[in-house]
This record gives sequence, C-alpha cells and structure tokens, in this order.
Amino acid sequence: MSDNRNIVRWIRSAFGFDRQSNGRGDPLKILVPLVSIALALILGMVVIAVSGRDPFEAYALLFGDSGLIPGSASWKREFAELLLKTALYSATGLSIAMAFKAGLFNIGAEGQFWVGAIAATFIGYWGPFAHLPRVIHPAVCILFAMLAGGCWAALAGYLKVKRGVNEVIGTIMLNWTAWFLITGWLVLGPMAPIATKFISGTYYIAETAKLTRIMPPTRLNTSILIALVAAYATWFLLYKTTIGYEIRAIGHTAVLGMEAPRAQGINVNKRIVQAMFLAGALSGLGGAFFILGLQFQFPNTAIMGYGWTGIGIALIGQGEPFGVILSSLFIAALRTGATSMQVAGIPKTFSNIIEGLAVGFIALQVAVRFYLVKLMERRRLRKAAPESKEAV
Amino acid sequence: MNALEVRNVCKMFPGNLANDNISLAVRKGEIFAIVGENGAGKSTLMNIIYGIYSPTSGEILVNEKPVRIRSAEDAIALKMGMVHQEFMLIPRFTVTENIVIGDEPHKGIFFDYKRAVREVRDLSERVSLSVHPEAQVCDLPVGAQQRVEILKVLRRGAEILIFDEPTAVLTPEETGELFITMRKLQAEGKTILFISHKLKEVMEIADRIAVLRRGKLQGIVEKQDTSEEQLARMMVGRDVVLEIPHVESHVGAEAFACHDIHVRNNRGFEAVKGVSFKVHGGEIVGIAGVQGNGQDELVNAMIGFTRPLSGSMELNGSNMRLVTTAALRKQGMSYITEDRARRGLVMPYTVRDNVVMGQHLVRPFSNGRGGMRFDKIAEFAEGKVREYDIRPGDIYDTAGSLSGGNQQKLILARELSLPHNFLIASQPTRGLDVGATEFVYHKLLEEKQAGKAILLISLELSEIMGLADRILVLFEGRIVGETTPDKTTEEALGLLMLGVGVDTKVAS
Repeated sequence: MSDNRNIVRWIRSAFGFDRQSNGRGDPLKILVPLVSIALALILGMVVIAVSGRDPFEAYALLFGDSGLIPGSASWKREFAELLLKTALYSATGLSIAMAFKAGLFNIGAEGQFWVGAIAATFIGYWGPFAHLPRVIHPAVCILFAMLAGGCWAALAGYLKVKRGVNEVIGTIMLNWTAWFLITGWLVLGPMAPIATKFISGTYYIAETAKLTRIMPPTRLNTSILIALVAAYATWFLLYKTTIGYEIRAIGHTAVLGMEAPRAQGINVNKRIVQAMFLAGALSGLGGAFFILGLQFQFPNTAIMGYGWTGIGIALIGQGEPFGVILSSLFIAALRTGATSMQVAGIPKTFSNIIEGLAVGFIALQVAVRFYLVKLMERRRLRKAAPESKEAV
Repeated sequence: MNALEVRNVCKMFPGNLANDNISLAVRKGEIFAIVGENGAGKSTLMNIIYGIYSPTSGEILVNEKPVRIRSAEDAIALKMGMVHQEFMLIPRFTVTENIVIGDEPHKGIFFDYKRAVREVRDLSERVSLSVHPEAQVCDLPVGAQQRVEILKVLRRGAEILIFDEPTAVLTPEETGELFITMRKLQAEGKTILFISHKLKEVMEIADRIAVLRRGKLQGIVEKQDTSEEQLARMMVGRDVVLEIPHVESHVGAEAFACHDIHVRNNRGFEAVKGVSFKVHGGEIVGIAGVQGNGQDELVNAMIGFTRPLSGSMELNGSNMRLVTTAALRKQGMSYITEDRARRGLVMPYTVRDNVVMGQHLVRPFSNGRGGMRFDKIAEFAEGKVREYDIRPGDIYDTAGSLSGGNQQKLILARELSLPHNFLIASQPTRGLDVGATEFVYHKLLEEKQAGKAILLISLELSEIMGLADRILVLFEGRIVGETTPDKTTEEALGLLMLGVGVDTKVAS
C-alpha cells in the first residue's frame, strides 16, 4: 500500500505535476498531452477514412510494426529502430525542454545537433584519439560533442545577454552559420578523405569510437541508455540543484519581463548563458548518437530535422524531462511504423499528419485545458451537489 | 427603483466559497460602494455581475427584471459597463481608436476615423470629461487613461458603471478629479458601483456601503450612519488600530548614505537630479512625493538595477559603485517592493520556493555543493508561514494564488529573515487592506526598534507622517525639503510635494 503510494509520488514528481514542483499538483499537465494525442489519433482516422482507406487496417499496420507491440517476426528489428529513434529525438527534445524551463526558445537545436555531430566525427577519427580503448573513446567523443553543441548555443545566449539579440534570431542565424561551416567547408575540405575519392562525406570514425551494440543482431546501441541518463540528469539539475531553482525562476518570469529573480540577487544573465549551454550540450549529444551509433561519418548530404522534431517533442512532453522521453517514444513509434505502412500501400504521410495534429492540439492547449477544466468542474459539482444538500 | 439587484448569489471555486449567499440591491442613480479586504470576494461578485464568471447559484436582476448574463457582451447589452483596474487600452492607438474599438463608425468597409473623432469629441464635451481625441494613449498620464476607459464605457450607452478599485493607480489629485467625474455621472442619472478597500475614499464618495468579509455580506450601511472605524471593524472582524503608535529607539550608526546622485530613467532622461541623504540605524527616513518624481529611479539605483550617472552611495561604509544586486544583498540590504508581481515574487513558484529566494545558496537551504535541501526549506517555510500568518497556510500553494496582503506578508517574511541592517520599503502597503497594512506598520516599527535603518518611500502622507522620524520631500528629482513629523502638517507636506513655494534656484 505505502509502496504503491511511493511509486505514485515518484511518478508525479518525475513528470512535474506534484505540488512540490508546480504548486498546483496539476493533473492537467499529464492529461493535456494524453488528450491531445488521443484527439490526433481520432482525427487521423477521419483523414485516412476520407482518403478512402480503412483506418483500422492502417492503424493496425502502423502500430503493429512500430516496435511497441511484440509478437511479429520483425519485432526485434523494429524495437531496436524504435529505441534508436527515441534516443535521438529525446536528445533534441531535452535540449528544447531545458531552454523552455529558462524561458528561452531554442530554435537552434538543429544547428547544435550538427555541431555536436561534426565534433563527434572529428574526435572519432582524429589520429591522437584514434587508439583510445573501446568504452573511453565514445565517451570522449560524446564529451566533445556536448561541449561543441553547448558552446554553439551559449554563443546565442551571450548575444542575447550582451547585445539584446533575441535568442530565436540568434539561434536561427547560428543554424545557418553551422550549416555552411560544416557542409560547405569542413565536410568538403579539411575533414574529407583525400586518398579515396569514392567516399563522400568525412572520414569514417574508428571502430573503437562506435557505441556498443546491446542487442545483436540489431543495431540497437547504448544511446538509449545514455538518453535515459541524460533525462534523469536534466530532471535532477532542474529540480534538485540551486542552478535549476534559479533557471526555473527565470523561466517563470522571463516571458512577462518580470524582475523578481534579479531583485532577489540572482545573476540572470549568467544563468541564461548557462541554460543555453546546457540546452546546446543536449542537442550535441543527439549529434553524437547519430554519428557514433548510426552513420559513423558526417555524410555529404545533410542530416535534417532532428532539431525541429525536438520542438514538437518538447511541447508534447510539456517541457518535463521524463515527459520528453515518453513523447519521443510516441513520435519514434509513429515514424518506425510508418515505413511498413507505406509498404502496404498507405502513404507514410499519414503518420506525419498524426504527428502534426498531436503537436497542433498541444499548441491549442489553452483550449484543451479550458474544456478539461470545465469537464472536471462539472463532475465535481455533480458530486458535491448531494453532499452540500445534506450539509444544509 | 433598483437598477441592479443580486439575490442569494453563491460562487464556488474548487476548495473555496468565494461568494456566500450574497444579496444586495443598488438603487438607480446612487453611488454604491462595496468594500472588503483583498480576497473578500468583491472582484468575484463584480465578475459575476459582468458575466465573466457564472454564479454557482442565485439570480441577478437588472431594472427589476431577472436576467441571465453569460458574457461581457450580455452585460454591455444590458447597459452595464466596467472600468477595470488594469486598463484595457492599446497604448499605440489614439484615444479615439481606443474608445471606438469594437464598435467603429464606418463607411462601407472602411473605418471612418474623422467621424469617430467627432463622436468622441462630442461625447467628451457632453459629459465634460476632457481628453484629446487624437493623442496617443501611451503618452497620457494614468488619470487621463482612466477617462478614456470611462468614455469607452459611456459610448456603449452604459447606465450602470462598475469601477473596480479605480483609485489604486491614481495620484491624490487624479483621485479628486475622478470623484468629480463620478458626481457628474451621478447627476446625469447613472448608477455607480464603486469597489474599493480605501475607507477614506469610500466615506467621501459613496451614498451607501456594502461590506464583504470572506465571501459573506457583513451588512449594508448608509454613509451618514457610519464611520471609518466601524467599516474597518466590519471588514476585518475586529478592532483595527489605524493610529500608528510612536516607538522610541536609539539612533545608531550610519547605514546608508548617498551623495549627489544623478540617475537616468529608462527613457534616458535624468529623473534623479542630485540627491543626498543618510539613513542611520534605528531610524525611519521617509521619502514623500507624488508618484513619478524620481522615486522609482532612486530605488533602481539603490538596488543595483541601474548605475547612477554620477555621485556615490555607501552601504555600511563601503562604496556601492559597480556592484550587483547580489553583492548589495550580501552587504545587508533588504528590499520590500510595491510591485509584488513584477519584482517581489515568482508567482508560479510555491510559497516554499519563494520564501528562501536570495538566501537559497546558503546553508542550510543548500548543501554547499549546488544542491537544494528542500526538506530544510520546507521546515523554514512552515515556520515563517506560522510566524507571519500567511494564509491559507499551505507552503505548496503558489504565490500567485495568495491574496495581495498575504503576498506582502510572504515578501516581508523573506526580506526580514535575510541578514540585513538596511531596509528599503518602497510603498510597502500599496494595494493592501487595513488588516495587512496594520501588519506591515507593526513589522516596520519592530525593525526600527531592533536598530535597523529603514528608508520608507511612500505616496501616502498619513503613512509617512505616522512612521517616519525624518521626512524628505522629493519633487522633480530633487529633495526640496527636510522636516520631522512634529514640525509639519499633512497640508504643508502636500504643498511641498507639489512644488509649491519651492525656489528652484535654492533647490538646485
């Protein structure tokens, strides 16, 4: 009994809807994303039906092959893909959630992801590091990827603090800067292998730098474990440390231009730069996952979209670290299942539509919240009505 | 005839009965005041009447006919109008544009601005509320902005006007002008509901007064049959000492001094033009002045938000040049702000999290390695909630959910528990009801007795006269007079605050 209560308490605090972390003990925090996802799935069915296909068949395919439901012959492979994607998305999702908590909108997760990826690649193949032992090598790569991504984002934070450049503008500009630096110069020039003209992209990383595979024969690797650790670390930093306390205080007051933390002696500017650094480091971690676990080099073609996906993930996850893990799992499931749905002749676009709808409903969360509150109030009144009559 | 009547209105919020079976009737053409402490249910009742909340039970009658008001549009259709405490104006729009918005005169699909200006000018002449129809709202003083709000409501044909704490943002002169306006409107046959917790004003303007306490109607009294003391007793539920007791204390060492400081405001104009004064331990120095004469800029310089252009400041003997707010606080400065939402508290944070802000880096609230010790903080918060009687008393309530008075108690609890010997109290009772005001006075006097140096900045003359040991009068960024409460009167101070009899050459 008391064990159960402890578990419930732990879950509530992990997802940020206990009274200790948000004061209201707000169950809506978890209801809003669930309802949004449900609405998106229902509306998605309508869209599929309108296009003349059977929605139930489509969903059976989509979720049957998403890796969520064990049983089918290809399940193991799909499960591996699901978790690999989850790790990637949760890295950028955490990045954006971190910035949200400080009241910052980190549009630049995309660029920070690339910068992290290129740093991981470089440390992965560069001579002096090439003979590090198996576990140390990827760890060093990840460290440098996080540092690089963090510094890249901190630059936007610095510009905001010192020059008043809005972080949205700053990070978008840095996205393009990263884009041209990497694909326009590094990948073609200094980091391109000269001897073999047949390889496009950069050198491949050393064998020792690759992330360990944990479920052969699939390519599932330790990235999912690292992502879970990162989520826990983010949660711990935000809710248990003085830095997190200050960052959240700034985040709560930033949007309306309030000065309470500053008036109480908190160094707001320093914390903004630090929060941007942390956000960038998490995106950089995603870049490292991509290189060390999947691609093993920075390709000539671009790696697109992980940063942008992170925005939706963070929104669905309500900006809470463990919420981000769950919402990444959801998006990863949709995208994994989409492939086999397409094989069956139902366009992949439908899973994108569901994804978009879910984010859309989250964006409408004021409305969703409003109706949920109304619903709950009505239920409470109905419950309260007979009691109050007795009391009278 | 009753213009407006509510019968047995109840409003239940989760866990809180905001209005408990309230019935009152407002006669046509009278000024009817509703008073009560912060959180007594005044605003809830007004929002029910204005259709923003729906009542849990009870009915509303307008002109003796039962009505259902589901939205503000319904209320406007019933010829009601609300002048909000926070003005609902668009700063970049002109007066005319703001007044006609939502119901614009038009030619086809085009907005007929000229006709709108004409209409606004006619209206303002008819009700003799002077505004410049083509001025931009952001350039107007607060009093004029309020006139724009009133005109907006009148243009929609309002017969019943609801003023929600209209004087909270006004200077004494502007309040006087507002009361003249209200009398004029009354003479035209309009019915006025006046929400306030300032008893002096209520006694001045209202015909009848309803008192609310904790959601319940305590009674409705005729003005001539009552007094401020009786109203205060009805509001708080006990006798309130509005008199401030005199407290003797030993004047100690100099805690704060500033010499000839000049400070710019955020628009780049010099707002403080050479101010010098000293504050010693065990004394309260009061700064009197009409709002906007440099008080905000002076405080900003003192708490390290802006750097003075020139001059120097010393806190406990050390120079305050180029220091941060954090460093000042470490040096022993505490700061009670008038702007609780903006500067005082992080509203979405809980009471527990707010009460340690500023000392959250010190043991025992942090473990010294960057981790928070929330168990110790909770213990501390529980103690403070009890000591300062912060209601409702749950340390996990958000600061934003507390009433104004309790928010101020929370700020006091935090600021006075910081190690300090110099306290800046900037309008510490703004927006507070009598009970909370009394509490703040009590705490300030306690501080004085404990030998702390206190700088009290206030717009309320009675507060300055009652609390301060020395009074400085600030006018247009300069100190134009120094006196003590026993050598002056409120009237003389009032004149000085308006710059009457100040020789500018002497002042500069």
